[in-house]
Order: sequence, then structure tokens, then C-alpha cells
Amino acid sequence: MRINFRSYTPALLGMMLLAASCAKDDAYETPTTKNQLQNDCIKRSTGPNISGGVIEFAYAMALPASRGKLVSAQVEASIAGANGTYLENNSYYYSIEQQKDVPVKIGEPSVTTGNTTVTTFTKDTMAATLRYFYTIPAEAKGKSVTFTFSAKSDNGENVSYKMGPYEISTMDMKLDLNLTDGDSTYFSVADMKVYAKNQTVDASKIDLIYMYRTSATASLKHALVAPGAPKEYLQDFVVPGGAANVTKLVKAYNLRDQQLARLQYGVFITDQDFKAVDFNNQPSYLFNLKAEGGTWVETADGKYRAFIYINKVDDAKKSMVISVKRYQVK
Amino acid sequence: MKKFVIISGLILFFAGMISSCKKNDLPVDEDGLLITTRTDCYVSNFELLGSDFQTVRSKAPVIDTAAGTITQEVFYGADLKNLWPQLTLAQDCKLEPKITGKTDFSDLANPRQYTVVSGNRQVRKTYKIIITVQPK
Repeated sequence: MRINFRSYTPALLGMMLLAASCAKDDAYETPTTKNQLQNDCIKRSTGPNISGGVIEFAYAMALPASRGKLVSAQVEASIAGANGTYLENNSYYYSIEQQKDVPVKIGEPSVTTGNTTVTTFTKDTMAATLRYFYTIPAEAKGKSVTFTFSAKSDNGENVSYKMGPYEISTMDMKLDLNLTDGDSTYFSVADMKVYAKNQTVDASKIDLIYMYRTSATASLKHALVAPGAPKEYLQDFVVPGGAANVTKLVKAYNLRDQQLARLQYGVFITDQDFKAVDFNNQPSYLFNLKAEGGTWVETADGKYRAFIYINKVDDAKKSMVISVKRYQVK
Repeated sequence: MKKFVIISGLILFFAGMISSCKKNDLPVDEDGLLITTRTDCYVSNFELLGSDFQTVRSKAPVIDTAAGTITQEVFYGADLKNLWPQLTLAQDCKLEPKITGKTDFSDLANPRQYTVVSGNRQVRKTYKIIITVQPK
């Protein structure tokens, strides 16, 4: 039998290619530690940055034990944070047994002076990751904000890390407003506030009335009705004189914005979403509202658009907890 | 013998290729949908969704094929101007006019009408959609 070697050429080439692709990588070398104070930072929070909301960072700093210990960590924001801005005094590690982050205290609670927040270490620490929570102030709306993180060690070394700029949305946000039938029943989009029935309130600012009604035949339950809605939908409710706003509503369900719902869903309502909603021919009343549902809202004057998310409904207490994002159109 | 097997194999292979390339000459309509021989022409189910894509039906629909009506009660307060009807049709049927999105059902005196066209496009059946609102 004659062997034709030419016919084996493709097979041989294939084997050579296979051998080349399986060539062993260079041996791994353990990286050597830099003999200096180092730092790093990540932004932990996602979604649009909204006044009243929080931007969260994790700032890590470390130096070799032989070079000393950490003395302090500080963050300087280009616009001073609102109340509730702080740098943690705990460093965290993840515990596999407990399946959660476990805190280790490294110092006293941070002190904020103007734009600067400082945490001073009181424990002998060579490495720590501190979380920074920046509460976005109202004056930052529509601007951008930057952060300078820095750390100091007892041998006089300093390091710093710049983060940003981050755009702050023009949106407003209010969380966990309580609406109760017959009491805290008026909602004003312009004020982002719930008013009680017996409170003195500018009637022209009432955009929505919350009510809880039951019927033997119909599913009414939790309802939001504009004061200017057709009379039959206001049920037995007597609207205060001067309140006649015909607020437009577009019912939504399963739109669980993470900042409003604070659930596991990675959904965020942004400025663009408000612009995209079509309010033509939409009603001014909604019945049978449910938890995790919500509604898009446009005020009668067209000045504001909002999204009301329903965090909780309570049939027994005839109440509802809502969280709101608002966008100024004009 | 071996030659015979190879040749017949090749013939079969090419025959298979030719038959697979044969032009499909079954008729299609202006929407690119297959016109079949089926004469079934009816609505088997009806759904109405609100702007939140949740049902607004408070009861099961009453579909009367003989009378050509679909009677549907909706929740009190349902926004009749923005409803999304969904009709389940018999196999190979299509609907006229097409449903492309939210539809206004608020004119209760003049119910909307949809025509089901059978698979062979020869049988047409018009349904009137009668909406009633749940009493309070």
C-alpha cells in the first residue's frame, strides 16, 4: 500500500496549531507589595443622582505594616453634602459563614466641616476600606460634583484619589410619604408634600386626593383622584373650595424604580423617561391601586411630571405609603 | 460494488439538494401570511389590558359567535380611552382592522367592530365588542 503524505498535510497543520495554542503560559509571579501608602476608590451606588438621594463610595487605603499605621481618611466634596453625609468609621469584610459584610470599628464617627468629612483612626490599622455616603443637597441640582478622597499615615505619607464629576439630576425625590383616608389625604406635586384634611392648604396646590372606598359590586379600594375629576369618581368626597386641578394620570405596574422601591430590581426612572410619557387623553382618577404599582402624573398646569410609586397599601388602616420622583418640565 | 455505493450516494445527495431548493409556491396574502385551506372563523378568547398592561376585565368575556358579539364587563373606573384589546382567533385566521396599540372604547353607544378572516380568506365574521362598566 502506498502512502500519500500530501493528503496528511492539513491534519499535520491542525495538530501544530493545536500544540501552539496549548503552549504553557509564563509562570505566575506573586506581585510584590509597593513599599508606600496606597489608595483606591469605587462608586457603589448606581442610577441617577437625585437631590435627597445618596451617592455611595468605598474608599480603600493601605500601607505595609513596617511603614506605620493609618491616621486619618477624609473626603472633600466640591459641593457640601446635605445632612446625613458621612464617612464610615467601620471597615468591612465579607463573612462566608454569616453571608454578609461584617463591620470592624477603626475609629470614632466622622466629623463634617463644610465640604470636608474626616474620620480619624483610633485603632492600629494598616489597611481599611471605608464607605462614604454623600447626601445630595438641593443646591447641587443640575450641577456636577467631584470628590477628593485622601488618606494619611503616621509616617507623614499622604495619598489622594479623585472621583467624578457626577451629574446631579434636576429631579426631586421624596420617600415614604404616608397617605391616610380621611386624614392625610391631599398630595401636592409642586410642594412634594402630603397635607392633612384639617390643615390649612392652598387649594390650588392640591393635585391628588387619596381615598379608600369599598363597594359590594366594584373594586375601588385605594384610589387617587384629582380634585377636578368628574364628580362621580370623587365618590362622597367633598372637595375644598378652589381645588379644581385636573391632574393627568397614567397607571403603571411593575415599574419598581430602585431608588423609590428599594427592592432588588435594577430599574431607574431618569429625566428622559418623564419626557417620553404621553399624557394625551389620560384620566384624572385611578382606582384599585396596589403595592408595587404606581402612576405617572402630570400637573394641571403642565409644570411638573412625577412618578408615584406605591410602597405599601394597608386595607385595614385605609392607608398607603408612596415614594415620588418629580421632574420639572417648564 | 464500492463504486456503485458511492455513485448512488451522490445521486441521492443531489436529489435531496434539488428538492430542498424547490420554490415554495403556497399562496401568501398582502401581509405575508400564509393562505391555507382552513375555513374556521371565530374568536376563541378576548382580553382587555389597561395602560399598566394589567387586565381590566371584571368577568370572563361572553363571546357569542352566532350573534357576532363579545360582551365584556370592565372594572369601575377603568380608563376606556386607553385599552389594549387582545383577540385569540381560530387557526390561520387574521383580524381586520389590525390592533396596533391602545384603542378608544369610550363611545359605548357605538361599539367597535372587528372582522375575523378565515385561513382560506373566504369566510369573514364580524364581531361587535360591547363594553359594560362594573356597577358601583
